[in-house]
Amino acid sequence: MTAIPMPQAMAGRLPVLSLLSPGPHLRATLLNLVAGLVIAGIAVAVTGWPWWVFNAIVLATLLPVGIGKWREEKHRLGVVIMLLSILLTAQGVHSIEHLVQWVQYHIVGLTPRQSNGLVSAANAEWVHFVWNWSVLIMVIVLMRGGMRNPLAWLLLAVAGLHAVEHTYTTIQHVQVLNELRAMGVTDVTAQGLPGIIGRDGWLARSPWTQGTIFCTLPGLTTEVRLDVHFWWNMLETGLLLAAGNVFLAARAPRAPNHGHEPNG
Amino acid sequence: MAIRAALPLVAVIAICGCARPTVTANQPVTVPVAVRTEPYATARACSGAFVEHRLPFATGLRVRDISGYLGNGAGVAAGDLDHDGRLDLVFASIDGPAMVLHNNGDLDFTPHELDAQFTRDVKMVDIDGDGWLDVVFTDRPGAVIAYHNHAGTLERMTLPGVDGLAYSTAWGDLNGDGRLDLVTASYDTELRKRGVATDVLAARAGVFLYTNTSAGFVAQRLSDHADGLSIALLDLNNDGATDIWVGNDFLGRDAVWLNSSTGWQPTEPFKRMSESTMSIDWADIDNSGTQALFTTDMNPAKRDPHTLAAWLPMMTKTDQTRAGDPQISANMLQVWSSGAWVDAAPQRGIDATGWSWAGRFADLDRDGFQDLYVVNGMIAKDLFGHLPDSELVEENTVLRNTGHGTFIAAPEWKLGSTLSGRGMLPVDLDNDGDPDLVVNNMRGPATLFENQLCGGAGLTVSLRWRGSANTQAIGARASLRTSVGLLTRDVRASGGYLSGDAPLMLFGMPEKATLQTLTILWPDGAQSVIDAPPANVNLEVTR
Repeated sequence: MTAIPMPQAMAGRLPVLSLLSPGPHLRATLLNLVAGLVIAGIAVAVTGWPWWVFNAIVLATLLPVGIGKWREEKHRLGVVIMLLSILLTAQGVHSIEHLVQWVQYHIVGLTPRQSNGLVSAANAEWVHFVWNWSVLIMVIVLMRGGMRNPLAWLLLAVAGLHAVEHTYTTIQHVQVLNELRAMGVTDVTAQGLPGIIGRDGWLARSPWTQGTIFCTLPGLTTEVRLDVHFWWNMLETGLLLAAGNVFLAARAPRAPNHGHEPNG
Repeated sequence: MAIRAALPLVAVIAICGCARPTVTANQPVTVPVAVRTEPYATARACSGAFVEHRLPFATGLRVRDISGYLGNGAGVAAGDLDHDGRLDLVFASIDGPAMVLHNNGDLDFTPHELDAQFTRDVKMVDIDGDGWLDVVFTDRPGAVIAYHNHAGTLERMTLPGVDGLAYSTAWGDLNGDGRLDLVTASYDTELRKRGVATDVLAARAGVFLYTNTSAGFVAQRLSDHADGLSIALLDLNNDGATDIWVGNDFLGRDAVWLNSSTGWQPTEPFKRMSESTMSIDWADIDNSGTQALFTTDMNPAKRDPHTLAAWLPMMTKTDQTRAGDPQISANMLQVWSSGAWVDAAPQRGIDATGWSWAGRFADLDRDGFQDLYVVNGMIAKDLFGHLPDSELVEENTVLRNTGHGTFIAAPEWKLGSTLSGRGMLPVDLDNDGDPDLVVNNMRGPATLFENQLCGGAGLTVSLRWRGSANTQAIGARASLRTSVGLLTRDVRASGGYLSGDAPLMLFGMPEKATLQTLTILWPDGAQSVIDAPPANVNLEVTR
């Protein structure tokens, strides 16, 4: 992939924020948001669709604006930075979803099962499985495209483990669902079960770790899945922002030096 | 009921503590005691495992569809009702008459039906201080039903002043007057479902302390609501006074009242607790001299897809845990650490044993460390209608104490019955010095697991307190100093889930251990010291 010089506008300490800024797309973003809210509101009011459909419609109406922005970024900044921009936006939205779940659980006082976020009442296990493998692949592509720095390597490890975790939960989801169907139970979903880590997860409950310190690793094997994945996503998003920022900063043109060159 | 004369004890060994009671600033009063011993019976066999016997009693068979809270089952109590030197059993029944199983020896029992019907909780306790164990039940409507033991014959009696709704009970001398007081807790959720009127609940539900006086029982209502599956009476703050701990089902937190000079003080001593506390037990599991507190709850023992699928419909319906709630649906082992109770169940490997009811400590293999036995399973059409016969079938769990602070499964002991256990007791029914296990199962025969593990030695201590209405010294504690460590036990009338312990203390130790001193701390704070007690005997200590 060709490295395209960064525009002067993105120079500075936090070029990643400049990349995420809607810039000239702000007006379209707001218009689509309003349109999405109206359309979703009417659709849900008329059909009685659940709350997650409302949120999905709103997100869908914002998609064309995003596509326009990313096409423009591809033309202006190249494919790699466009992919970084897409990943940052999508991971940001995903983090908002986890943030909403966290607020529902910790602030609103809902149970973990009721804390469905904006769209997670849809099949969360498959969505997360696809999503986390997509993130991992995107991170690999970005690293191959030049985003190689220590934070990116750390991000790769965290995203890789996250993909493994969701592979485990998805396999478990399918197996439990099959068992439920075999028992004649069709009105119970098998979502939100503990994964490898988290309270009652594999690490906490495996015969190999029983009676060891691994059963009580603070947070990792003591907290509910909702909390574990909230912090996991925050970490991943933070690392993506930091790694992307380092990457962008290294490619930004240096500010003109108005001082005197030192002698010698 | 037929009466048998008490068997003569074999020998009078010693009269200890001959000096008069003495008091110093820091030492308890020392009181003299008479000690009598009787050797253990010869063990019937040594097979290295427990052998299952089916007892002539069953509950839950008369109900076609068990749903709601019928599935909670009933308890079992042990004690020598007829002074023949053998421990008898009394079973409560949710769907029929309660039953006494008279112990004829050699693990042979004669059943005697009682006229108490549809009972839950059962205790054997000497209410009136006449030296004979009376029998007390609660029934499904919430009444307390008592039988007075007239020298071996059980006759209905009333407990004047006891009229609160009760599901679980516990007995202990809470005010130090020598009489055994009663604590009861109602199970409001079931009562509401049965249609008990709100005004009745408002007046009679909750936790009651009935102080036993010469004029009857004087009620004090500690709480106006409860879902009390179990009650423990023990000294939680180590101040020498017995406190009250009610283990509540559902989202209601466990309730604890400390026995203080200014009255009963409600407190929350635990940072984490079981969500649905099914039973409470306590023991010195590492021979450190301090007690660890164990509660059972519902938590799948396995995490395989089949097990999770069996549990999931119920979990989806009932999981109401919210952030910040100290309750977790898991067994808890509270250990005292750095000035607070801390849950150590996960690192000890005992936090998940299934849909667990009674969980009890006992030194099953007599290695000097108390092991853990938990009975499991549930039957309820409304919760497990997707399973055959609406039954969540789970093996009972036996965990051997390694002596290093952890517990490991001991399937070789063959205690993994899949009958749906509820009340359960460790009790030596064949007088051979090791704890057998008795389980009151739902929809199946009660089972006796005869302990045929090999090796080890024992010492059974029973206390007699003349001149006190607390004739069996309920609440007394004993420390046995041995060459392998300090072993502690206490005398209880209540134990585990809806059940009643025999009022004696059973120590286990390795065969080569030498016994140095047995120190008895009586409920009134006095102590007695017996030097070099013999092993492998029933030791009757009379004050």
